[in-house]
Amino acid sequence: MDVTFKVRRHDPRTGGKPSQQEYSVDLAPGATVFDALVQIREEQDGSLGFRGNCGRGFCGDCVVRMNGKLTLSCLTPVDKTVKDGVIAVEPAPYARQTKDLMYDDQTFLWDKYRAMKPWLVSDGAPAKPVTEEAMANVRTMMRCTMCGLCDFGCTVIDVDQGFMGPAALTKAYRFMIDPRDTATKERLTMAGEPKGMWDCVHCWEASEHCPVGIDPTHRIMDMRDLSVRHGIRSGKQNPKVARHYDSFAKSVKESGWLDEFKITMDTEGIMGSLRLAPVALKALTRGKVAVIHPKRSGAEHIKRIFEKVEAEFKAGQK
Amino acid sequence: MNKYAFYTGCVSKGACPELYQSTVAVAKKIGVELVEMLDVGCNGAGVLTTEISDPINARTLAKAEQMGLPIMTICSTCQGVIGAARLRLMNEQYRTAINERFLREEGLEYKGTTVVKHFLWILVEEVGVELLEGLVTNPLTDVGVSPFYGCYMRRPDDVIEQGGRKRYLEQIITGMGATNVDISGKGKCCGFPIAAADETNSLAMAAKHTGEAKDKGADAMVVPCPLCHLNLDGQQERAAASTKKELGIPIFHLPQLIGLALGIDPQELGIQRNMVSLTPVLRKLGMVKQPA
Ligand code: SF4
Ligand code: FES
Repeated sequence: MDVTFKVRRHDPRTGGKPSQQEYSVDLAPGATVFDALVQIREEQDGSLGFRGNCGRGFCGDCVVRMNGKLTLSCLTPVDKTVKDGVIAVEPAPYARQTKDLMYDDQTFLWDKYRAMKPWLVSDGAPAKPVTEEAMANVRTMMRCTMCGLCDFGCTVIDVDQGFMGPAALTKAYRFMIDPRDTATKERLTMAGEPKGMWDCVHCWEASEHCPVGIDPTHRIMDMRDLSVRHGIRSGKQNPKVARHYDSFAKSVKESGWLDEFKITMDTEGIMGSLRLAPVALKALTRGKVAVIHPKRSGAEHIKRIFEKVEAEFKAGQK
Repeated sequence: MNKYAFYTGCVSKGACPELYQSTVAVAKKIGVELVEMLDVGCNGAGVLTTEISDPINARTLAKAEQMGLPIMTICSTCQGVIGAARLRLMNEQYRTAINERFLREEGLEYKGTTVVKHFLWILVEEVGVELLEGLVTNPLTDVGVSPFYGCYMRRPDDVIEQGGRKRYLEQIITGMGATNVDISGKGKCCGFPIAAADETNSLAMAAKHTGEAKDKGADAMVVPCPLCHLNLDGQQERAAASTKKELGIPIFHLPQLIGLALGIDPQELGIQRNMVSLTPVLRKLGMVKQPA
């Protein structure tokens, strides 16, 4: 199989502009893009820089963009990716580019990972045996290779690389649900600070990007549920998020549905609402905001659902 | 005749009344009968914990089941959240537990049979783009429109069920005689969900997508989700200010775009309620006199 690889090349250390270099390669059937890059380096150009070790999807090191698609090069078959005989290979975005397809993801990924205290914390009490069942979800999450694909695909990181991102948040959740760990509440508070779990837009991009089925977006939503269950609606520096949740819940609980106007007032407070006043006024003059929300029929049943679940949460928190 | 249990969602009854009125107007025009569900709750919108929202949504699904009708939604988030709850409730054990704990008291039971479809899906799959095309009296010729789906109309795949649904907006755009102006951000998040948690990021997302449509030369965008509309239309001015970008691109609600092509009076479609004025589009269509 003859394929032309158009590889983006750049060495920031020597300066100069990024360029594109073409390599034609004759590949064995079943070759992956990673195999092709190795073959190019061994047979044609020893100076080509790219990442990857295991060639098996284990190390999570080989993320590149191939004909637009961002994923692990070692799990990407050439014959399924090639278009008109060509594969364009570009480096992963956001992380600091070091050479050609290589990147340094210390700041992008690993510093955030460390900030989540990715180790077991014990309160000192003697260890109790854990059941296989209690470990099942933890085991699934332990499959994470820290490839960073969920972060590379994240809509929020796209506009703000200060966001903790799904990789680190998912790691935090992995320890929260570990029956051997005793710091769940501290972890929930930490992950609930600004740029943490409440900054996620739940767009499901992370889940779509994860190659091992961790489903990071779902895990972040699970973590939020866990947070509410523990009565921790946000971190200490993030009171607005808690106000938003409480006001949202109160509105649905009392009337069956949302009163956007009231939620904005409760969440933003007077000063924040003033900031939004010009937009609100314009909306009002256009008849956009129904200020008086009638209570829905059946609202008492919605309220009953809330009361039942909240009572259970309360009992669990004791 | 197609008949649906109409789940309006909160926003079409609150901050986006023009979505409600344009939906009703278009449905009437194309012979879709809507029975509004009044006795149901907010689905939680991905904000409320699923432990609370799943029973609320089971209740909604049970009510539609009783009516013997599929549910029609007009909001990507309503669709995604009720759709995901519906999937979980396919599990009999879970469904029984919810029925017994929450619904029985009210004499309700969800049997797991209700179908939930967004208006967009109904238009393409049940009404048919061809039929819609046949009703066009005012083709949106030379109007460039960028599609914008909202996350929940694109992902996750198990809730979307059919991959083809990710291309329906384009079919509607061209079916109404407009030109599809593709944007790479059409399946991304509009930023609304973090309007409270991180306003800067929320506005940056709105600016990014509206900016892309504008840069590609679109005259307008179309959204099937009132939350996307709140951020892309309602917050557009602030998004422009916070990112120092020149924006100013009108945003159609899906039924507003269709209604215009089907010759429904723009006032009836509530276009005067959009925050970014649609007048330039109407002018292009010769529906507003050129300024002297
Ligand atoms: S959760 Fe998945 S995508 Fe994210 S770092 Fe781990 S393995 Fe990679
Ligand atoms: S080389 Fe290890 S995951 Fe690709």
